Amino acid sequence: MSERKDAVIIGGGPAGLAAAVALDNLGIHDIVILERESQLGGILRQCIHDGFGLQRFGESLSGPEYAERFISEVRRRGIEYHTDATVISLTEDRKVEAVTPSGLLGYSAKAVVLAMGCRERSRGSIMIPGERPSGVFTAGSAQAYMNLYNRMPGREAVILGSGDIGLIMARRLTLEGIRVKAVFEIQDHPNGLDRNIVQCLDDYGIPLYLRHTVTDIHGGSRLEGVTVSEVDERCVPIKGTEKLYPCDTLILSVGLRPDNGLLKDAGIAIDPRTDGAIVDEHLMTSIPGVFSSGNVLHVHDLADFVSLESEHLAASVAAYLSGGLGSGMDVSVRCGSGVGHTVPQKVVSDDGFTLSLRVRSVMRDAVISVSQGGRRIVEKKMRKANPAEMIMIDIPGGSVCPDGDLEVVAG
Amino acid sequence: MLHFFDAAVIGGGVVGSAIARELSRYELSIAVLEENPDVVCEASGRNSAVVHGGFAYDRGSLKARFCVEGNRMMDELSTQLGFRFIRCGKVLVGNTDEDLRQLERTMAQGFDNGATGLELIDGKRLHELVPAVNGSFAMLSSSSGIMDPFLFTINLAENAAENGARYFLSHKVISIARKDGRYLIHTAEDDFSVRWLFNAAGKGAKDISDMLGITGYRVIGSKGNYLVLDKRLGPLLPMPVYPVPSNTYMGIHVTPTVDGNVTVGPDAINTDDFGYYGVPADRMEYLRESASTLWPHIDRKDVIRTFSGILAKWVDDKGVIQDFRIEVRDDIAPGAVNLIGIESPGLTAAVPMARYAISLLRDRFDLEERKDFDPVHATAKRFAEMTSEEKAAAIAGDSRYGSLVCSCEEVTEAEVIRAIHNPLGVHTMTGIKYRTRAMMGGCQAGFCQMKIEQLLEKELGIAPEDVRYLRDSSWVLAGKMREG
Amino acid sequence: MKRTLTCIICPNGCSLEVEKEGEEITVKGNLCRRGAEYAREELTAPKRTISSSMRLIGGDMEIVSVRLDRPVPKEMIFPVMDAIKSASAEAPVHIGDVLLHDVLSTGADVIATRNAERKEGR
Repeated sequence: MSERKDAVIIGGGPAGLAAAVALDNLGIHDIVILERESQLGGILRQCIHDGFGLQRFGESLSGPEYAERFISEVRRRGIEYHTDATVISLTEDRKVEAVTPSGLLGYSAKAVVLAMGCRERSRGSIMIPGERPSGVFTAGSAQAYMNLYNRMPGREAVILGSGDIGLIMARRLTLEGIRVKAVFEIQDHPNGLDRNIVQCLDDYGIPLYLRHTVTDIHGGSRLEGVTVSEVDERCVPIKGTEKLYPCDTLILSVGLRPDNGLLKDAGIAIDPRTDGAIVDEHLMTSIPGVFSSGNVLHVHDLADFVSLESEHLAASVAAYLSGGLGSGMDVSVRCGSGVGHTVPQKVVSDDGFTLSLRVRSVMRDAVISVSQGGRRIVEKKMRKANPAEMIMIDIPGGSVCPDGDLEVVAG
Repeated sequence: MLHFFDAAVIGGGVVGSAIARELSRYELSIAVLEENPDVVCEASGRNSAVVHGGFAYDRGSLKARFCVEGNRMMDELSTQLGFRFIRCGKVLVGNTDEDLRQLERTMAQGFDNGATGLELIDGKRLHELVPAVNGSFAMLSSSSGIMDPFLFTINLAENAAENGARYFLSHKVISIARKDGRYLIHTAEDDFSVRWLFNAAGKGAKDISDMLGITGYRVIGSKGNYLVLDKRLGPLLPMPVYPVPSNTYMGIHVTPTVDGNVTVGPDAINTDDFGYYGVPADRMEYLRESASTLWPHIDRKDVIRTFSGILAKWVDDKGVIQDFRIEVRDDIAPGAVNLIGIESPGLTAAVPMARYAISLLRDRFDLEERKDFDPVHATAKRFAEMTSEEKAAAIAGDSRYGSLVCSCEEVTEAEVIRAIHNPLGVHTMTGIKYRTRAMMGGCQAGFCQMKIEQLLEKELGIAPEDVRYLRDSSWVLAGKMREG
Repeated sequence: MKRTLTCIICPNGCSLEVEKEGEEITVKGNLCRRGAEYAREELTAPKRTISSSMRLIGGDMEIVSVRLDRPVPKEMIFPVMDAIKSASAEAPVHIGDVLLHDVLSTGADVIATRNAERKEGR
């Protein structure tokens, strides 16, 4: 009862949509998108603020508008998609099973595209001490309540974490009449884009406290307040600096992680640094024919980059389906000093590719260099390198040889 | 409003619900008065979820007796009530000569208590059973196990309700008066006139006892904090691993849950604040470090949640922890069964304890057995546990089985809706969580809570500001953003 | 007068060195022309755009997302928000539909940013 497909795309957000349209452009028409929500678009549906599309379309769009550019292409081309379709199993031989209200869907795919996006780190995962009242929301949950469901999460809020969603939510809450008392960030630098500090916090007089974190949560029923402390260089709270902020809402914007549950079930090798799949320069995972891009591979800063990466993935899938995918090498990409992670983590051909990475700490006048066996391949100079911003470096075709690891260092 | 019942059970936790269920075997009208909006808000839902063997309690104690009986009964209860119970065994690991002597004493006590399946095992066997454990030898208790504490309690309550017991949630008892041979119970909501009553109020049992005039008990809180680890770790831990115990404290242990998570804890901190469940930062670190000496896989990165529970322990003047006290004081409060100091192993012991409590009443009054009591609580197979064929059939029968609400735990809209219309009338967000596992997964409700909130509004016809999380005043939303 | 501004036009977020001498404004640090325009405007008459939601009648959901098609003076943000809060749109609505024309005479239109089809019986 499983239907054959050239490609099954799991996830109908920015990654899956871009991959589908690009595959169709490349002549791969026997494809299907499986989306668990009732509409295509993924997280973009709730990102109603503008700033999307500047890289990809050269204009500033809201999330839903950006998504619609791809959705209308999917519809126009008649690409098959199913909404309300949650994939519950993926096997090593690329069998995909999804649950839908009209029954189970089973596919046997030549190629599978993992495009499930990411999820937010929760209160538990960062081990915030204290009681467990209602009123503690991840930024994305609060955003969904407001922008999709027309629901107000509270009246008086404190925000932990200066990631972009937290900053965007600070402005959104303020515009809706919810008082945002402050944003606290444990690091010594903001995690979101500078423009969002200006237009989401400064414009509304919302203070941002760096090197501060929530060290206690109060309230046996609904949240009554949070205790905030200063932290030292190792991010350990400093005794004696505790300050109580009464509030009924705590918004957490403390990081995103790939939504990798399906990868674990399928036995796909995962990079503990990204929590996404280990991939080669074709974005192929440890299971042949299974590819991954977007935030389920590694968390991106901008949807535009997710689209671009997924279009690159589509080219790889097309080459794989025609048997023309480069191979023959087995080179690991090593994270040298200053580098937190890279994508890809390995290189199997001398095809050119884009190396994505994040540095470990804020660096001024940084140099990122990629070398192999002491031979420098590429060097990128940057006025400022910041862990909050993904760095992309083009590795030209023919520059990687079969011998020795590729080493990436930043300093 | 004044209600008349034959019997009231004060407290709807695992012990109160076990009493209600066992009492519903008789021709009686029964009211269960629970102060919270659900039955698993306190100790019954805040523990290690271990089914104990009965070796760790003093010889001749009620704790030992009911624990051994409860352990023996657990397979049958699991089948009747449809909650998961796995008799996986557990180990108490030691390293020193003193540890060995203590384990020998524990084992001897266990034999005398009637506990079965106890043996000392060497390091080789220990590491076959639990590969990564740190320890040179261990006492294995193969009759011990793990269970779903939420559904054990909930299904006892629902089975009681199916057999006619009525649950009054959010009914906190404020005072009790004796009048014309009956008890008049005044609650924050309605009043109740009953002939008999059971004090199964757990952390509130001392207050109820005082209201009955049975005064003088000293009860202290012992708070245990826990970490919950990701499901990645469940497969690495086949059974609970404990340190060598003392007779009053089991020690910090690592325990697999029936759902494949691992819990770490509890510590034991004395407290007199029975309403504060906050988990402090230093305790989290302490739990992680302490349990890492037993089992090396505990990494901050895998922590998905923390929680705590508070046991109400009856102590003497010197602070020494006492046995369960289950009594009828004919001189002070005739017809009232008073349960004091009900703590661990209360989960394992709940049903035999309930039968004993009822026997005290039966010794004094004629109770007529019902012919139509049904001990079986019908449960539907969880979607996540169905085969593909069963899933397809379920969706064909009800398309709401084809809508996944929680993808981490694979919980469907059909299951959430059934949970919303539970027979006890529990309408909280956590009520859905404990009944379905939605919101318990790796994303900790990031994706599904909005859908569950929306379903609660729709199914119950309530406004967004009337949705509650766990307690009566734990509002979730301030209202609609755009009215109209 | 010298000031440092962060450009908010695009995610690059250029750090702009702005100097004002009389009517003369010079801008350094911008990667594109729009950065210079932003800095001049920010010094003389700062403007912002808004994204929000409007009540939707007869649609698939209770609200439809909206934004302004051009920035409005900063001091008009909250008055414009009030106008959006008290307005409503009737489904169907499509991306780009003008839901409030020339809102509060700012010259900006409030436009829909998602498609919402009509849903009967709601």
